[in-house]
Amino acid sequence: MIEQKRFEEIVARFAELKDNSELMMDLAYSALLLNNRELAEEVQRLEEYVDQLHTEFELLALTSDFKKEEAPGFLGLIRLGVATEKIADAAAEMAEVVLRGIEPHPVLKLTIKEAEETVTQACVTDNSPLVNKTLKEARVHEETGMWVLAIKRGGKCLRPKADSRIQTGDILIASGYAEGVEDLKKLASPEDLCSVE
Amino acid sequence: MPHFEKIEYKPIPVRELLLEMKNLSELMIDLAYSAALFNDKELAEDVLELESRVDTLAYLLDMEIMIAARDAKDAEALIGVSTVAAATDKISDAAADIAAIVTHNIGVHPIVGEIFEKVEERLMKATVKEDSVIAGKQIGKLDLAARMGVDIIAIRRNKDWIINPEDTEKVFRGDILITRGAPIGIKEFKELAEGRLTKLE
Repeated sequence: MIEQKRFEEIVARFAELKDNSELMMDLAYSALLLNNRELAEEVQRLEEYVDQLHTEFELLALTSDFKKEEAPGFLGLIRLGVATEKIADAAAEMAEVVLRGIEPHPVLKLTIKEAEETVTQACVTDNSPLVNKTLKEARVHEETGMWVLAIKRGGKCLRPKADSRIQTGDILIASGYAEGVEDLKKLASPEDLCSVE
Repeated sequence: MPHFEKIEYKPIPVRELLLEMKNLSELMIDLAYSAALFNDKELAEDVLELESRVDTLAYLLDMEIMIAARDAKDAEALIGVSTVAAATDKISDAAADIAAIVTHNIGVHPIVGEIFEKVEERLMKATVKEDSVIAGKQIGKLDLAARMGVDIIAIRRNKDWIINPEDTEKVFRGDILITRGAPIGIKEFKELAEGRLTKLE
């Protein structure tokens, strides 16, 4: 029997693979909606990272000292990884549309906006309770149900970390169920002083 | 051998087709991982069925795009749409690959699901029985999130799927509900839906 610890390591690697592939999907749709190259480039960078994670995950699983009767369970795990990587590939293909300089057709923007899970952007004005808070303190997800995917600041696109501090003028790019969009916009700009489309 | 039907052209707006492909592909990913990690055959079979639905949509969308493109300029404007649609199709294929791990009796090592359950919420199916206290009620009125930390992410009614139903949507006898939540919460909800638990506390 393989030790529990080894399994936890394999599962942790798989969870990271899965999280990143789903983040890539969200970012790819954001890139299309906003016709934003930086977001699309971020998807491509993540694609390379996911490839690397996937290899590490497979090696870890294959070098586990599993018994013969455990082989199907490990084969299942390997296939789970392959499919997850395929999802990441699909996200990268979507982002590629933006990088090729094709202005996304209006129908794409409409679809992404109308979907159950959507992406949006909201700018932070100086009267927002978010200003000067770290993302961890800001509790954007608890308040609005939206996840912050990226922060646009001065033409740059930053990937959010728990200790990233939100500033006036930041544009938050977030994904979640459509109901959260208005809540996020209100939180970021309480008097509706700025809108980005 | 799966059964393949001829797909006849139907005039459906591109936006509608793409929207359904996007929504279904995302639902399928959630269903598929849950099916594989917790060895749920029924969920896996739902994923495979949805996959053939997405395939049909992909054909219809391609036809729609072909008709819409009249010249080179149109083609350049529409290529992005077909690329994105193809990517959602690929995502739904990936979800079907995950589901096939279960339907082909390979399975994912059970310890993986056990460890995952500590960090990830899981999905469960529940069929609304005639005598269930939730039958005929609006989802919003059930207040499931506050009561038991459960969210209904989709309803299967006859052959249709309602994804992320609104609070005003009612649940009916025979509906199959796909719920997301912590293991205890969704177990309790399943008992409510199936009439084994008769009190909504």
